[in-house]
Amino acid sequence: MAYPRSRRASALVLDRGMGPLFVTPALLLLVVIVVGPFLYTIALSFTDLSYALPDHDGHFVGFDNYRRLVREDPVFWGSFKATLRFVFVAVGIEMILGFLIALVLANQLVRRRFVLTLVLVPMMIAPVAVGLIGKLMLQGEFGMLTYYLRWFGIMGEQTAMLSDPDLAMRAVVLIDIWQWTPFVTLVMLAGMLSLPREPFEAAIMDGAGRLRILWDMTLPLLRPIIGLVLLLRSIDAFKEFDKVFILTGGGPGTATELLSIYTWRVNFRDWDLGYGAVCAFMVYLIVLILCSVFYKVISRRDRMADR
Amino acid sequence: MDTLLSTRFRRRWRGGALALSLVLTLACSGKKDREAPRPEPATGSQAARPGVWTLEGAAAPYRGVTLRAIGESLPPLEAMAKLATQFEQQTGIKVEVEMYEHSEAVSKVMLDLNSHRGRYDFILQPHRELGRFVKNGHLKEVKSFMDNPALRDPSFKPEEQLFQRQWKEISWYDGKVYGFPFTALTMYLWYRKDLFEDPKERAGFKAKYGYEMKVPTTWKEYTDLAAFFHRPSERFYGTAIQGKRHEALWYEWLNFLYSFGGDMMETQTGSSCGPIIVNSPEAVASLDYYKSLIAYSPPDTLNYFWDDVMALMQQGKVFELLMWTDATYAVEDPKQSKVSGKMAFDLTPQDKGGKVGQIEGWSYLIPTDSKNPEAAYLFIQWMMGFERQRTQHLNGGSSARPDVYADPSVKALSYSKASVDTFAVARPKPTIPESPQITEILVRELSLALTGKKTSKEALDTAAAEMSKLLGACAPMKYPVN
Repeated sequence: MAYPRSRRASALVLDRGMGPLFVTPALLLLVVIVVGPFLYTIALSFTDLSYALPDHDGHFVGFDNYRRLVREDPVFWGSFKATLRFVFVAVGIEMILGFLIALVLANQLVRRRFVLTLVLVPMMIAPVAVGLIGKLMLQGEFGMLTYYLRWFGIMGEQTAMLSDPDLAMRAVVLIDIWQWTPFVTLVMLAGMLSLPREPFEAAIMDGAGRLRILWDMTLPLLRPIIGLVLLLRSIDAFKEFDKVFILTGGGPGTATELLSIYTWRVNFRDWDLGYGAVCAFMVYLIVLILCSVFYKVISRRDRMADR
Repeated sequence: MDTLLSTRFRRRWRGGALALSLVLTLACSGKKDREAPRPEPATGSQAARPGVWTLEGAAAPYRGVTLRAIGESLPPLEAMAKLATQFEQQTGIKVEVEMYEHSEAVSKVMLDLNSHRGRYDFILQPHRELGRFVKNGHLKEVKSFMDNPALRDPSFKPEEQLFQRQWKEISWYDGKVYGFPFTALTMYLWYRKDLFEDPKERAGFKAKYGYEMKVPTTWKEYTDLAAFFHRPSERFYGTAIQGKRHEALWYEWLNFLYSFGGDMMETQTGSSCGPIIVNSPEAVASLDYYKSLIAYSPPDTLNYFWDDVMALMQQGKVFELLMWTDATYAVEDPKQSKVSGKMAFDLTPQDKGGKVGQIEGWSYLIPTDSKNPEAAYLFIQWMMGFERQRTQHLNGGSSARPDVYADPSVKALSYSKASVDTFAVARPKPTIPESPQITEILVRELSLALTGKKTSKEALDTAAAEMSKLLGACAPMKYPVN
């Protein structure tokens, strides 16, 4: 078969191994803005560099910073636990709510687009703005949400969510749910609408009930989508910074001091950059481990389902 | 030389990498740096005639220069920016001012100083940062400028014209002068004069407490007033503490600490290190007392910092609190405040520590990498002049010049006397390189104590241990932790 001249030429270029050449600029950019700083962070983590303390000019200190993190820094581990709690609770509720809303929307044929647009609004707001909105709503004096929580007797007159160490984390979780449930809904809905119709019609013909269809068909078919959303949301929640920073600054006490806030504090308040690099690297490592474990669990389930 | 170059290169790269990290990870400042073209200084001979110093003459070699400065976005800086146009008309030296929120103003300066970019010709920074700037070689001593007859205005005599204790704490380090006070700050008592003078309230108070209502000089009287006026059902509160996990909390607690006879370290000046006494019985008592005021504060008080309590006061929702000198202007400004003309100000109540306040302030400083240090000095010196200081003070500043407070227009301000009285008894706080970290440690522990997660003793013991570890041999714990 004779290719047109131009197509043949381009095929020859690719055949001669010129492809990678075209990818090089993108790779270089990636190296400069991702790989470079990452390697630099690792290198920094073995130094005593501090912008605050004199004579801490980046001398090599071996694993001292890592030792300090593991053995002598209860605040870091407190933040780690707080972050895990935040991720599990917030993402868990977002997944359930997002799925249920998507289910309702998938079965709603009238004005689905209009309702979906409304549902998506919180997701489109910048996280800093969400933090500010949340702060205003939960303000102890004139916050609208505070007013209704008191009016319904859910919260005492002398209680304010963001000032109460037991309620502050719930407030942060609540606002995260408000912001990110629409994302879960959107992806789940797209997944549901893309499912083939035939198996569902066959199930209905066979007399399967709604719950049965949901449990035995919708959920298994949506598993890859659910896995993807769960992974994306977990990673994102693990890095949460903006909203918490605006809402509570990590307080009261250490109630909402997530790892990202703690890492920021060490780096940009204490300017303890060697140790701050260890904290940042640990956050990366934890996310990496969680992701790989999670990915393995999902893919194993998929393989089992294929059998 | 090689070593110097390589160190500089490393620092530049680190600064750049950090700046990149900051942008990539936070990406929330929303303020873009502008790189304006920087005209070369005009050449030519010194215009001043021998024996006659003039600003125009001294500034002639720098005509056309643009100075870039950075500071906290508050009325004193806005006033300075307005005054700078007069300086430009007189000298041809332009001054561009970048204004940021407190923490951001500090962070941006740290990055600039460490990257050695020299973006700022002079900086305005809180004095707790002084030690780490000086010890890391980021600041120029201003003595060389002061000793230069071509630059020194003969009428500028800071040794006579400034509050000496304030100047030496805010702008000196290890006996060397690095700048001049941009603001001389302190905190004192604010209360509602209209309610205090209301005969009905006075009668009610006497009936309840058995003595005449008076300006509180003890913490018992302060509590009585807070308790009496605390009417949460009317959304009116006896007091409001700045309990958010923020440096405002530390600053506020220092008033109680000093008043109860405690301190953080046993030192005479901010630039020296000494035994840790932050967990002394006096310090624990001060924190216990501070915590007791939550009962008379708004429900959200543990999420308030200075802006929040200021807003509450301006809305007329609080009877009394402790607040900053440079915020007083805004509470007495009828355009911003419902309680303008209804306020009174006085010394902080006393305990074992007697009459006491805290020294605080922002300084004009010239970075080592400043591209126009002489022109910057000329501007700073000009700003320290009486007329500029008076204008800045009347527009929300807090001058370090005693003669400004003696001026009739300033004397007439309701808060002038309280400022001067408190300056006279104000105490220094650490300015050593570790002081910002000490602040962070204490803010965390104070916040934990306020939320009830730790007792006052536990929180201060932890703080003492961490501070001692941070400072090393120069700071043993005077009250060992079990």
